[in-house]
Amino acid sequence: MKTFKLESEPKIKSGFIVPEHYFDDFSKKVLSKIPKENTKVMPLFQKRKTVFLAVAAILVIGLLLPIYNQFTKSYDEIETTFLENHLTYQSNLNSYDLISELEEEDLTKLGTTIGLKDEVIEDILVTNSDLEKLILE
Amino acid sequence: MQEEKDFIQKLLHPNTQNEAFKKLLQDFQKPLYFHIRTIVLNHDDADDVLQNTFIKVFQNLKNFKGDSKLFSWMYRIATNEALTFIKQKALKNKVSSEDLQNKTIDNLKADVYFDGDDIQIKLQKAIAILPKKQQLVFKMKYFEELKYEEIAAILETSVGALKASYHHAVKKIEAYITSN
Repeated sequence: MKTFKLESEPKIKSGFIVPEHYFDDFSKKVLSKIPKENTKVMPLFQKRKTVFLAVAAILVIGLLLPIYNQFTKSYDEIETTFLENHLTYQSNLNSYDLISELEEEDLTKLGTTIGLKDEVIEDILVTNSDLEKLILE
Repeated sequence: MQEEKDFIQKLLHPNTQNEAFKKLLQDFQKPLYFHIRTIVLNHDDADDVLQNTFIKVFQNLKNFKGDSKLFSWMYRIATNEALTFIKQKALKNKVSSEDLQNKTIDNLKADVYFDGDDIQIKLQKAIAILPKKQQLVFKMKYFEELKYEEIAAILETSVGALKASYHHAVKKIEAYITSN
């Protein structure tokens, strides 16, 4: 049997051929695909993830809103009647404690509001039989 | 070398990218097609892999560091794409890569884009018995007539190892053809 020698035999070609004009059209085919391939496509699961995160964020904000309002509610908004009732019936504060909390400005305002004339005060002092007792207190 | 650096700059710059990429296609489509075709054997498969290769090249241009030549970088991408394609095709058909290769060789005679006779088929069958690395080296040296230095740059191996690999491949092929 004759030993086959690759290097001494005529070159064996691969035999692979291409369709006519294949290389003429190939560039166009690739170039038409490249802009599409280059565009960033967001995968479906990533879109779902974004939607899920958005819904979760809305829910968390919704749940936190009442707590936020609780902390930020101004004291001005607490009803005056409630405060009066509390001070009158449930507080240990007496009239002296209240007076000690008042400032000069509050006292002036109080005087203006009451608006008693000197004669009226004198009358009260004269007619009031418990005056001595009040002074002693 | 400077010329290649300038060309890479053109490929990376948005204003010159399209023109430069067209030139890249013109220069490399033929050699890369035949490189891929010798691996996948079938024209339609080679066409798919070649398209994927150029798309991958375009997408990864910004990551090309210029450590290797553009030529060897592109050949490396094409080789990886072709080998991955074969693995995936074999998986899809639930056969081994070797069985797929043998089946493709058997179909070559009926392939309209194969112009060969018995000796070509016999040579392909002889190549199919080689280990994967030897197959690659043999095809790149014998069919594509690449230089050892070029193959070494593509496969990232030494010229000495390649010469030994090619020598072993030739011996096995000669033995197969002699006995068949």
